[in-house]
Amino acid sequence: MSAPLPSIRLAACGGLTAFGDESATLSALLEGRSALAAMPVLGREGGDPVALALCAGRSYDETSPPNWLPWARQLASRIPGEGWGSPRRPVFVTSSNFGVGSLYAFRRTGDVSHLAYGTPATCVDWLAAQLGWGPNITTFSHACVSAHLGLLQASRVLAAGLADEALVFSFDFLSPFVAGGFHALKILNAELPAPYQDRPTGSIGLGDGAAFAVLTRDRGDFVLAAQSLHNEMHHFTANRADGAGFEACLAPLLAATGGRRLWLKGHGTGTLEAGRLEASTLARHFPGAPLVSWKGSLGHTLGSCGLVELSLALAAIRAGRAPGTVGGTAPGFTPEVAFAPFDLSAFDSVLCTSNAFGGAHAALLLSHA
Amino acid sequence: MLERWITALHTEDAGTEETSATRERLKERFPRGATRRMTQLGMLLGVTLEPLGLNEDDTVVYASGYAETRALEGYLDSFPSASPTLFQTSIHPSAVQQALILRQQPVRQFFPMTGRACLPAQALQVALLAETPRAILCGGEERGTWLLEKGTASDRSFAFALALSTSPASAVGRLTLSSSEINASASLTLPAFFDLLHARQPFDAPISPSRRLTLTWS
Repeated sequence: MSAPLPSIRLAACGGLTAFGDESATLSALLEGRSALAAMPVLGREGGDPVALALCAGRSYDETSPPNWLPWARQLASRIPGEGWGSPRRPVFVTSSNFGVGSLYAFRRTGDVSHLAYGTPATCVDWLAAQLGWGPNITTFSHACVSAHLGLLQASRVLAAGLADEALVFSFDFLSPFVAGGFHALKILNAELPAPYQDRPTGSIGLGDGAAFAVLTRDRGDFVLAAQSLHNEMHHFTANRADGAGFEACLAPLLAATGGRRLWLKGHGTGTLEAGRLEASTLARHFPGAPLVSWKGSLGHTLGSCGLVELSLALAAIRAGRAPGTVGGTAPGFTPEVAFAPFDLSAFDSVLCTSNAFGGAHAALLLSHA
Repeated sequence: MLERWITALHTEDAGTEETSATRERLKERFPRGATRRMTQLGMLLGVTLEPLGLNEDDTVVYASGYAETRALEGYLDSFPSASPTLFQTSIHPSAVQQALILRQQPVRQFFPMTGRACLPAQALQVALLAETPRAILCGGEERGTWLLEKGTASDRSFAFALALSTSPASAVGRLTLSSSEINASASLTLPAFFDLLHARQPFDAPISPSRRLTLTWS
């Protein structure tokens, strides 16, 4: 579906990565820095080194209550307005992991205090109480396209006149639970990711991430001009080899992108097959449009990545300069892959894409209002 | 007010049934050997979704508070040698993905949701705002083991799938979601919503602090 919705505006948007807020992160990306560092996959229990990017000063090992709360609270303090979670100001929370690291901590230590944060519902209820939100909270969990679902549903609620403003809040903080899983899948190791680089082996990194967006019908200088989803349901961890899923997600957006001067913020985790399919499909539809991924610096921030990277794209547009694909070097999968920063004065829109387990695809088009 | 007509409903009430018993009971409903790799929730949801004949343009909304409890328990128990299979099976949307990947059935819009006291209200709003002619609202839980002992898993297994249409043709019921007077304590949990559906029981009451559900059957 491409949004035949009225255009929904972004009244505010902010993000958090291992580098800090979206401004600090943009600066680091423009300088080509990486937040990824090798650390034991199981934290204090050791294990193979893997590439992780944690918020500065945050321990990888779980605590009770979860030690990521101060970072979530700091980000939430920047959300404008009051009364979030009330009938006319709904909150859409999205995450892949929620507090599941607390279940891991419970199983390893036997400390039952961790259980208070371990399920999605208990985690969101606790977070909402900490941040002062009311009960009007809708929660999505669709792995690494989760944030896009929140943005789309918030847009629909606004378009239907069921809310005055809507808050989308996405978060995923790393734990041995999730890093252990990706390590077991043999795509997370000590090798740093090089998204879209044509090289013999692929690898990813993982990073802490959180972000928010306040959506309105009529306030804000940027607009979500179109949104699209597609779910291949072909394989749990692989895409169809013919790239049909990438095509199907883009197809409804093509009319909305016509005539626009686009740059592309791709998903680009550092895996080879998915990266090649994504880059080639985007190049076929948008020849010459520069394509970047920032996960080679920030790591993959999982369910929050769609909104974290939207906040960074927005910051880049405001700054007039987009970071390149940090971590990789030419040759890329296509000539459109941009490894160096570039000036944005020639562009008026950015297409942002995300992918997830199950062949899930999501894309949105961000433009000036 | 948001409304849709119910054109089909399928439910599975497995109660406290063990996964092995569910597998034996339902194995004929799946391709030969397929259930060996499926979770209990995946099987239960699979048999409720199958008669609906999903197509790519349906919107699928999936509601579960705990989702893949057994896979999650197994994955947690697999450390320090984490199981890749249990990791990928433990993700929240896995039950629906098991069913649809088995049939190689793509869907454009898929909204996996979670929550607690007001999960049905939230999922209904997502389904009723879908722009597609048909929305499928499905959900369920599977009974946990050691997580249940700690109060962090469902104590029963069940699944449902509702087909919701913008057209009254062949409708078996009607469902509306409307604004209601603020009632902070109003809620309807997923198991309670399932029980309403399973019994085809009419309902007209607030199900969240600001939303009222009206459910009628033909």
